[in-house]
Amino acid sequence: MSLRSSRIVAAGLWFLTALSLIAYGQQPPPKATESAGPAPESIIRSHKLHQAPALTGTGAAAQESVQHFIDWASASYASESEDVYKALSAARENRAIAEAFCEEASRSVMSDYSRTLVTLGLLGAMKSPVGSECLVKFLHRPFPTQGTVIDGEVVEQTAMGMLQAKAIDGLAFLRSPDADKEIFWAVREHPSRVVRAEAINAYLWNHGDSAEAKATLGRYVRPDEKIFLDRVRRGDGEGAKQFNPKLDAFLKEHPDSVAPNPVKGTTDRKGEGSKANPNPPTLETR
Amino acid sequence: MSAKQLAVVLCGVLLFTSCAFAQNCSQKQASQADKDLWNTHGCWQAFFLWEYQAYDMRSSDWANRGWNDACNNVMEYPKHWNAAYLVTYGLADNWQFSFHGTADYRGTAERWGNNYHDSIYHTPVDNNGIFGAWVYHFFGSNEVQTSCPLYDPNVAPNANPGSRGGDFQHEGWHGWMDKYNYSNGSCSGHRCGPTGNCTVSNCDYFYFHGIGAYAFGAMWQNDGTAKRFHSPNQVQVEYLCDVAQFPQSWVPASVRQAAQADANTRAAQRFINGPGYSCGDPRPW
Repeated sequence: MSLRSSRIVAAGLWFLTALSLIAYGQQPPPKATESAGPAPESIIRSHKLHQAPALTGTGAAAQESVQHFIDWASASYASESEDVYKALSAARENRAIAEAFCEEASRSVMSDYSRTLVTLGLLGAMKSPVGSECLVKFLHRPFPTQGTVIDGEVVEQTAMGMLQAKAIDGLAFLRSPDADKEIFWAVREHPSRVVRAEAINAYLWNHGDSAEAKATLGRYVRPDEKIFLDRVRRGDGEGAKQFNPKLDAFLKEHPDSVAPNPVKGTTDRKGEGSKANPNPPTLETR
Repeated sequence: MSAKQLAVVLCGVLLFTSCAFAQNCSQKQASQADKDLWNTHGCWQAFFLWEYQAYDMRSSDWANRGWNDACNNVMEYPKHWNAAYLVTYGLADNWQFSFHGTADYRGTAERWGNNYHDSIYHTPVDNNGIFGAWVYHFFGSNEVQTSCPLYDPNVAPNANPGSRGGDFQHEGWHGWMDKYNYSNGSCSGHRCGPTGNCTVSNCDYFYFHGIGAYAFGAMWQNDGTAKRFHSPNQVQVEYLCDVAQFPQSWVPASVRQAAQADANTRAAQRFINGPGYSCGDPRPW
């Protein structure tokens, strides 16, 4: 390239850069149509802990009660987990309440996965006969055969698998022979690896991760999925003290689970220097 | 040439990729998890006025997506900053329990060139075929795209704030791969699958490490071996696990449960030497 051409190219680049900088400098900030409300600190402080709504009534009253409860439970804090169990336990014999949860799980499945997930969790925690029947039915809902493909997975299958895995958690939590039959079926037969993996995980956890439970599952688990019997779980409240020895033991027992060394690329771009972001607004909730 | 013809020509010649998916994703509904998180801040304006700069978001990209209606939580821009709110404030940062800290996850998701990546900016795309993408630009910042399945609850289960923030981590980590010159494979920056224990088409290795192996703010470190390294899906799983298990006390149940389900699904499907860790006890609640 001649010197003149180089200059023209450089000038062009300079012009484009300047233009984009000017354009970016003129970007208006986002705005809201509402005026500013209370700061999050005050919203969080005003959250009334341990105020689970009652689950009562029949017919339309039961439906309303369940909708209200799902809204509350879905927004509840981790420290309110036992309140959820207590309220569900008190409503265990109310058939209309369990049916209303079941209907909501079916209704929301096509429109809002996270509400269905929460509802299935509540049904599982309820441990009611009607709720358990509902979970079995949910587990056997037709598994999608086609849909939108992302990264080689059919999203509709993954979504249904994630929800059916949640149903599995509820069934395994019953620790009953009938429910365990469903778990064993899922471990061997379910078309989704996500569900099979969760069935193994949930059965083991509900049986104290015992050697006996592992041996029982060993009769059902697919030969190429035996690794799931030894999968490392970071359990609730587990820190380095409990987790790290489990991981060490797993890697010792399964040396093929250690990844190979990473591969360097062919390009060698020189990275930029570091610049810290300006701090976000302060949120004092701790 | 009519305006319509001109538009068609422009579409074909200049703007193929964006025009190919020119129909906006539906912005009519927010997931339960998005609404629950939203209600913990009630649309904090000081935050989104910081966030759009911290994530280098531009009105030209986010127009018609809530840029001028930033408290309307069914729109994509408000959903983006809802997820960023979770990244910024949602984690407990307990070094005895968490895989990594807020400094790591913010460093990976936010704009400025740092130890985690060169500078990035965030854009939306209308493509049901991807969750997101990291796009290298010869000039200027690299681009982190996020798409419909992360925003529209009718399209995918990932339309929740945990999964969206998880994708910020995933795409940001492609930027890490680029910065440190690692090749993670030829299938959209991943190993082609299915292979090994990975059942999808874009696969990674899981570089297992214990809790406390990385100080908070040190996730970017590597020693060139599998002993100290992360892949994009792994960073995503670890973020989702930390949201699910060790969040701030006020993070709603729906957000935690959706994050846990996404982490466990991803860990079961996306790793050649998998499965990755499973997160949390499998209690129904």
